[in-house]
Amino acid sequence: MTGENKKGTEQSRRRFLASTTALAGAAMVGLPPQDAAAGKKHPKRGGTLRFGTRDDSVGLDTHRNIIYFVSHPLTGITGGLVDFDDKMEPKPGVAESWDTSADLKTWTFKLRRGAEYHNGQTIDAESVKWNIERIKDPKTSHAFTRSVVSGVERVTVDDKHTVRFHLKEPDVALDINLVYYPVNLMAPGAADKADTEPVNCGPFKFKSWRRHDRCEMVRFENFYETDAEGNSLPYLDGLIGLPKKEDRVRLTALRANELDLIDNVAYADAAAFKKDHGRTFETWPVPQVGTAMMFFNLKNGLLSEKDNPDAHLLRQAIAHAIDREGIHQAVFNGIGSIANGFYGESSPWHPKGIAPSSTFDLDKAKALRKKAKGGDQRLTIIANDTFPYMQQSGELVHAMLKDAGFNVVLEILPSPVMLEKQGKGDYNIDSTANSYRLDPDGWFARNVLSSAPENRRRTGYVNEKADQIIIAARQERDRAKRRQMYADVETLVNRDLPMLYTHYVPLMMAGHRTRVKGYAPSFTGPWSYTGAGMRRTWMES
Amino acid sequence: MLAYILRRIAQLVPVVLVLTVVVFCFVEALPGSIVDTLVGTEGGDIEEARAILRKEYGLDRPIHERYALWLVRVAEFDFGKSLVTRRPISTELLSRIPATIYLAAVGISLSMLIAVPLGTFAAVRRNTGVDYGAQVTSLAGISIPEFWFAILCVLLFSLYLGWLPSSGYVSPFDDFWGSLKFLILPAAAIGFRQAAFTTRLTRSSMLDELSKEYVDTARAMGLPERRVIFRYTLRNAMIPTITISGLQLANLLGGTVVLESIFAWPGIGRAIFEAILQRDYPLIQAGVLVLGIIVVLMNLLVDLTYRLLNPRVKLA
Amino acid sequence: MAELDAGKLVDIADEGRVPPAPPFFKRLMAALSNALYELRKSRTATIGAVMLVLLFGACIATPWIATHDPTKQNYRARLAPPSEQHLLGTDRMGRDIYSRLLHGGRRLVTIAILAVGLSMLVGVPFGVLVGYWGGMADTLGMRLVDGLLAFPGLLLYLLFVTVAQAWKLEGITMDIVLIAALGLAGMPEKARLARGSVLAEKQKEYVEASRAIGDSSVRIALGQVLPNIVSPLIVTATVRLGTVILIVAALSFLGLGTPPPTPDWGADLSAARDYMETHPLMAAFPGLAICYTVLAFNLFGDGLRDILDPRLAER
Repeated sequence: MTGENKKGTEQSRRRFLASTTALAGAAMVGLPPQDAAAGKKHPKRGGTLRFGTRDDSVGLDTHRNIIYFVSHPLTGITGGLVDFDDKMEPKPGVAESWDTSADLKTWTFKLRRGAEYHNGQTIDAESVKWNIERIKDPKTSHAFTRSVVSGVERVTVDDKHTVRFHLKEPDVALDINLVYYPVNLMAPGAADKADTEPVNCGPFKFKSWRRHDRCEMVRFENFYETDAEGNSLPYLDGLIGLPKKEDRVRLTALRANELDLIDNVAYADAAAFKKDHGRTFETWPVPQVGTAMMFFNLKNGLLSEKDNPDAHLLRQAIAHAIDREGIHQAVFNGIGSIANGFYGESSPWHPKGIAPSSTFDLDKAKALRKKAKGGDQRLTIIANDTFPYMQQSGELVHAMLKDAGFNVVLEILPSPVMLEKQGKGDYNIDSTANSYRLDPDGWFARNVLSSAPENRRRTGYVNEKADQIIIAARQERDRAKRRQMYADVETLVNRDLPMLYTHYVPLMMAGHRTRVKGYAPSFTGPWSYTGAGMRRTWMES
Repeated sequence: MLAYILRRIAQLVPVVLVLTVVVFCFVEALPGSIVDTLVGTEGGDIEEARAILRKEYGLDRPIHERYALWLVRVAEFDFGKSLVTRRPISTELLSRIPATIYLAAVGISLSMLIAVPLGTFAAVRRNTGVDYGAQVTSLAGISIPEFWFAILCVLLFSLYLGWLPSSGYVSPFDDFWGSLKFLILPAAAIGFRQAAFTTRLTRSSMLDELSKEYVDTARAMGLPERRVIFRYTLRNAMIPTITISGLQLANLLGGTVVLESIFAWPGIGRAIFEAILQRDYPLIQAGVLVLGIIVVLMNLLVDLTYRLLNPRVKLA
Repeated sequence: MAELDAGKLVDIADEGRVPPAPPFFKRLMAALSNALYELRKSRTATIGAVMLVLLFGACIATPWIATHDPTKQNYRARLAPPSEQHLLGTDRMGRDIYSRLLHGGRRLVTIAILAVGLSMLVGVPFGVLVGYWGGMADTLGMRLVDGLLAFPGLLLYLLFVTVAQAWKLEGITMDIVLIAALGLAGMPEKARLARGSVLAEKQKEYVEASRAIGDSSVRIALGQVLPNIVSPLIVTATVRLGTVILIVAALSFLGLGTPPPTPDWGADLSAARDYMETHPLMAAFPGLAICYTVLAFNLFGDGLRDILDPRLAER
């Protein structure tokens, strides 16, 4: 974290510790006044919330699986050193406070006294060290999570409540990345049962799980957070996760009162649902979710300079052929906004002054295509089958490229095949999206930096100037300057077109207006969310 | 009889072996690898992590070795663990298969409740409005895409009328009466469709029976028509109906996958479907194997019942 | 009938076993007028036949009666109600539903016919031959068929179609794979049916007669037995056409059908489910089109059974 950034964090943390109210949490996410007023209703303990989601977790071991996104009800059992708030700033979790050395190579975390795992074991420095070491081991962890702690050389224990991370390289964003690539803590004694009976430290305890069917969690009575009056959180007694993959089924179940809260209201339904059922059901746009884009394959093939000298012309032709207003209307039903960079207006990292990528101009697209070598050769678009908006964007872009005279095919594929094709470079355009990284380094240093494994695996973009800026930005202490640096990178990206940002991904949740109170969504799921979210939700009958 | 049954069971062994080989070949040919999905993509040590996982899951061995190992373990009733959730596959199958059998069995029973009276009436009142009505209804049942029909049912009965829950599942072992209200819609969707086949079958076998001499004899003896039909004819005509329903039940075990996803029913069809999408190899293999064994056993049972009910068929 | 045939066969055999073939056109016309006469005997078959004629007519005339390019998007005119310009309205991408319906139907009916044709082409000779040879061939062949039949419901299709994702496919090759999957998965059923009929037919005298004059077994099985078991096979095939169309729709619903933008009734119906309440017509058109087609095949097949099965005909 840069100086200014760090200070801001410190301040907001102190502010948070001084006075935390449910109302503040609700007001911060910008709920309409009427809802804030409803929030004034006194919270009460008890009740079980039924949460319908599109997806479900893969496994229970939180080091090996990413139990994390909004669509995983099981996130309720997870917790870590750091939480975050609606501004995507890090907040105290199990760690009460933390500090970094001047060279940003040592991070010291002071653990909260009295914090416990679900089995009653104290969360001490030794157990944190054990967790980090387990996550560092490729035998027991997922690459996504491991990528955060791979820079940690060793972890030392100062005393029972102080743990120190020694990094190989300076890292400004360790704290925030500990939330994003969720470094969840589990009780060391229960590791051998991590796949069947996980023992974690989140606001809810694990009870049962049948994948794609139902999971049950009960309130963790010794959770560390309290509300302003000193009542322990969460308010809910229990949480039932009911994954229902079909968007239509989930919404119907909510309307038939079989669920209290759902995620991923289909964009097609959103407007009509709000209009016809807004009295009974409340809808929340989830702030800052991510960005949809077309990745171009610069590693090989028609759009790669290695195989085609006119690759850049072709990419420009494609960019001119894509009418992003169409994606806005036909895919997102007019919800959200068109993207010109990775971070949208709701993000603190939204930069000003990005030179936008090419605008829609069909004639120009046709002319460029004709001029460019290989303009009549076949292009393959791939899209993941899990996310409807990726498929639909792919479908629309396919039609738009056809309009511009391209010879183009579309393949909709499940994740394992997607990964294989991406790795082999067996595609030209990938209709995809990426969730917001809390710190922009998380995006640029992974997907734009030429040496990053993820960039090398997918687009293979190389721009030395961009590389220099990204590396320099890591050490830039002034937040505004840093933001500007990333704007410069985006300008390069929009010019070179290793990818074309298309749209910010909106996400809509819906819940029963009178039964569900105090709820506010967040983009990593409503749990690791200080001051709001599922911890402060209560049920009214 | 016993010798016959034993011989038939012995014949099933090669059938099941063919099944396992076919499944293994298919699984081997599935594009993409589960290892890629589990390991993730971000980070510099992916190759190492992949190698570790491949070794742990035994995916680095050649296919014939894997097949042999798998077969030996299956013979000891050990299906191993799901590569995705790392939980025992037997637990998964034990909760999923009964859910599907429950749905399929009630669906088939419902179809018989609809089809037998309808088919009988159609046969007795042959070439009348009733007959044509029954034929059209039953043909409509087969002609409508089941997911569309199911979604329309949900809209009508759950949303507009509010009579039944739209989706979900409660195990009948936990709460029998509670489980019924979740069952009605999906079971009715199956029943309506299967009734189409069964009605036509009942009608034609009823016609068959009605043309037989004993019916004329019974009528000549002055027995009331109602009695002739319900007491004698229907009883004989039911034999093919029951046997076909048994075969339908077997086929439904893997055929309810669409309804299972619409009604969020945690059945085996959807479990195998998800496993195919995610490349959870041992779960696909175990699921198909167990279902296959149930199917061939059920076919055998149907066959034996048929022979038992219909003594004219000799034991070949 | 069998006796008569057997007698003829012996005569033909004496003449060097080459039957004098009547002119093709004349034979065809005779067969057609005969078929029409028979058809009128069954009301269901007549209705089915009329529906099928309309369906095939629409399929053939598609290039002339379709008003738009079925894959041409126009998001500015999306979700439009039926109008003069778009007879059945437009879908979420602004594509013309009427034109998609026509092109989709043409594709789907072709796929269904080719798939059922393939399953007959592979399954029937297989069943006839193993049934005719008997012994080891029969045992092995039937175990293979039983093994494939032990895959309940859609599982075999799911596996096949998923495996096919590995191959670089598009447009017509995609359809060919679908045809192959549907055809091969339908094969065991046909093989078993053919074998059953052959076992019954094998006992008949004309077969013994042919064998007595030293005809080869393959020739007898395919040349003599096959034509005599054709009618139950035609009935099954017709009904199977409807089933295949429903299977394609189910695969589309599960996301394993033909990827967009290819017009496909199942995929269009499946995509319309998000709009089931707000734009119910969007789902109704492809849904009803599927119903109509499956119903037509079923009615026709049903009626055909009445006509071809002499046992039923006498009632």
